[in-house]
Amino acid sequence: MNDMSILERTVDSQAVKIAASNVQVFYGDTHAIKDVDVEIEDKTVTAFIGPSGCGKSTFLRCLNRMNDTIDICRVQGNILLDGEDIYDKRVDPVQLRAKVGMVFQKPNPFPKSIYDNVAYGPRIHGMAKNKAELDEIVEKALRRGAIWDEVKDRLDAPGTGLSGGQQQRLCIARAVATEPEVLLMDEPCSALDPIATAQVEELIDELRQRYSVVIVTHSMQQAARVSQKTAFFHLGNLVEFGETGQIFTNPEDPRTESYITGRIG
Amino acid sequence: MVDLTQTPHGSLIGAAKTDKRLRRRRAAVFRLKAYGIAAIASAGLALVALLSSVVVQTSAALTESYITLPVTLAEADVDPKGDRDPKEILRADFAGLTKQTLRETFPTVKARKAKRELYDIVSPGAAYELAAMVSADPSLVGQTIDYPFLASDITDLYLKGSYGELEAQDVTGALSVTMDGKTALLSSTSGDFAGALDQVKARLLVDAETLRRKAALQNNGAAVFAKRAQDATTEADMDKNRKLAEARAAERDKLLAEAGDLEARARGNQGAEALSRDNVSLLVRVDGGWIKLTEVDATSAKGTVITPIPETVSGASNWDFFISDLPEASRKVSDLSIVLIEDLKARGAVDSVFNWRFFSSGDSREPELAGIWGAAVGSFLTMMVTFSLAFPIGVMAAIYLEEFAPKNRFTDFVEVNINNLAAVPSIVFGLLGLSVFLGVFGVPRSSPLAGGIVLALMTLPTIIIASRAAIKAVPPSIRDAALGVGASKLQATFHHVLPLAMPGVLTGTIIGMAQALGETAPLIMIGMVAFIVETPTAITDSASVLPVQVFRWSDFPERAFQAKTGAAIAVLLFFLVAMNAIAIVLRRRFERRW
Repeated sequence: MNDMSILERTVDSQAVKIAASNVQVFYGDTHAIKDVDVEIEDKTVTAFIGPSGCGKSTFLRCLNRMNDTIDICRVQGNILLDGEDIYDKRVDPVQLRAKVGMVFQKPNPFPKSIYDNVAYGPRIHGMAKNKAELDEIVEKALRRGAIWDEVKDRLDAPGTGLSGGQQQRLCIARAVATEPEVLLMDEPCSALDPIATAQVEELIDELRQRYSVVIVTHSMQQAARVSQKTAFFHLGNLVEFGETGQIFTNPEDPRTESYITGRIG
Repeated sequence: MVDLTQTPHGSLIGAAKTDKRLRRRRAAVFRLKAYGIAAIASAGLALVALLSSVVVQTSAALTESYITLPVTLAEADVDPKGDRDPKEILRADFAGLTKQTLRETFPTVKARKAKRELYDIVSPGAAYELAAMVSADPSLVGQTIDYPFLASDITDLYLKGSYGELEAQDVTGALSVTMDGKTALLSSTSGDFAGALDQVKARLLVDAETLRRKAALQNNGAAVFAKRAQDATTEADMDKNRKLAEARAAERDKLLAEAGDLEARARGNQGAEALSRDNVSLLVRVDGGWIKLTEVDATSAKGTVITPIPETVSGASNWDFFISDLPEASRKVSDLSIVLIEDLKARGAVDSVFNWRFFSSGDSREPELAGIWGAAVGSFLTMMVTFSLAFPIGVMAAIYLEEFAPKNRFTDFVEVNINNLAAVPSIVFGLLGLSVFLGVFGVPRSSPLAGGIVLALMTLPTIIIASRAAIKAVPPSIRDAALGVGASKLQATFHHVLPLAMPGVLTGTIIGMAQALGETAPLIMIGMVAFIVETPTAITDSASVLPVQVFRWSDFPERAFQAKTGAAIAVLLFFLVAMNAIAIVLRRRFERRW
């Protein structure tokens, strides 16, 4: 993959997975996200880019209600997952998070064995009836996380003993183990070296076959490399949202142009 | 113009010599290090002093003495009915049998007072133990067995040297003894008593010195009253003070005269010197009998016979002369007792063995019978109650406050008060326990249940504070990870946060428990200071605990309890050190790095 292929990339229009409209987020008195409307498609990688503090991570965390854990955070507006409002009172955030998996900025495996890291989600959701089924789920998840070959002989070793890139792929495997429909990634490569980054990016492209992937990234090159759609955030506003090729080559908004050409950021 | 070629810094090498500021800074660092080392050294010294004093105290409690004597278990004495019923045997007069055995061992001890001293050589508990032994094995009735009687505390202390040493003197001459009525007249062919005479005189000088100090005090008093008489305004007042001054002066003169007398006796060379109870004891053993000297000269002496000697002894070369440097008046063991114990020792009847009894028996008024097992079990039961209350409540409270509670005024208030609770004097918890648990809920007094509840209250703040710190130290990324895969908050807490916080939680708990184990004051309030001989078997039984046992024993007048106190402290310290060691091991073992 390289930047030059952006324009030739075919972007098939897919069904809308998440439709967010008029989303406002407040941290106490601070208005962190203002009037964001975005439609995230299925089987597509959508990248959120923007300068630090622009609200892209905050918006990402709205999509699986991780912001609920922050006391002072309030979310307004509609976010529909397959047409259902995820902020409806009847929605259990725990079930939502099983459907919308998340990978964090810093690799955060549990201080347990590799096997237990992956098996934890399926276990608490009762996805396996017996050990054999669980083994199968774990293997499948590790294969999808592109780490099976590296760890298959040491599933009992602690997950924290892996290298940074391996840990992040383990976290991705852990996230896909619960069979989510959407995978949120909050700067998944920012703590990794270039080689590990390349591996994870390759993995993200593969994950697109099955999931709707939303990735927050600081790196415009990364957004250009892995995403089909890109949203540019600035100061809490969604400035521009469109096909990646169009955003990077022919932005409509002057602020987007300034950012991707390096004048702001 | 500024000269740009000059820098404010001098040469690097040798800068310390020229730069005053650098020198001061180095001196400050040096001083700080010196203070630190001094502080650690003084703390270390204090620890060494504490441990060594405990060890020294304890050593005397490590062994106990037994006196093995043949005892005839005649059927008429121990089983009058003859049916070998263990209960009947238990009821027999074993105390009388013990006394009889002692009398048979020393048939020459006849006087009432002497007999009482004889009986006091063995512990009153020995008869009960003998009874229990015969009752358990009735086939012993009718036999004569060698039974080890437990020595009394006084005997035991004498054997351990707490009442001064009986020093054997070198004798070279041959001893002749003749009787003059009740007085024995001793004479040696060489000056064997000369050394003793010197010691006796030295003691007289010490006594004279004491008298002179007392006289000086009286002199001061006389001067004060004379002054008051001078300053008095009324006739009556003057008279009264003058009389007081005269009385003191008279007392002073009397003391000075006595002191002068003693000094004259000590310095003079007028031959024989009489001995009193305040002077050293001189004992002579000859032909199996003992003589206590009442008057001593270089080659001859007078004395009273304690245990019989032959009518006359002439020219015996095989005799022993002992000096006990502690005067009879200042020790609990009399010369007669010493003689009896020494005779028993000479027969090989006295044994000293490791004091298992101390670790296996309950409390007693008799120091030689007292042990810490009852208190240790009481402590264990109390700690069980404390742990089973304080640990779950404390950890749950910490989890709630740290993970679930909203942050508002009310939780702030609760937090402040938990910290305040940790600073409440422990005796206040005792008062609370007394009025609420004993008074309102009717928890049995003196029971480990009551003690455990009170100590749990005391331990709670420690556990909550330590647990909250441990939970807070778990990185939020672990919570995010768990929530991210769809765990509920409860699952995230109990599957991930709590296990990771456990080493810290357990460390806090063990430190809190160690604190509770050493606590005395609140337990005194709820009656655990009672004298309890039975080892408790349930948490509602009356019980004592280790620190309270230490407190009680330290208060007892019997000297033998000093060693018991030291030993109980050593046991308590052992448990505290062991608990802290476990805390350290847990922390090391389960500590995780992220």
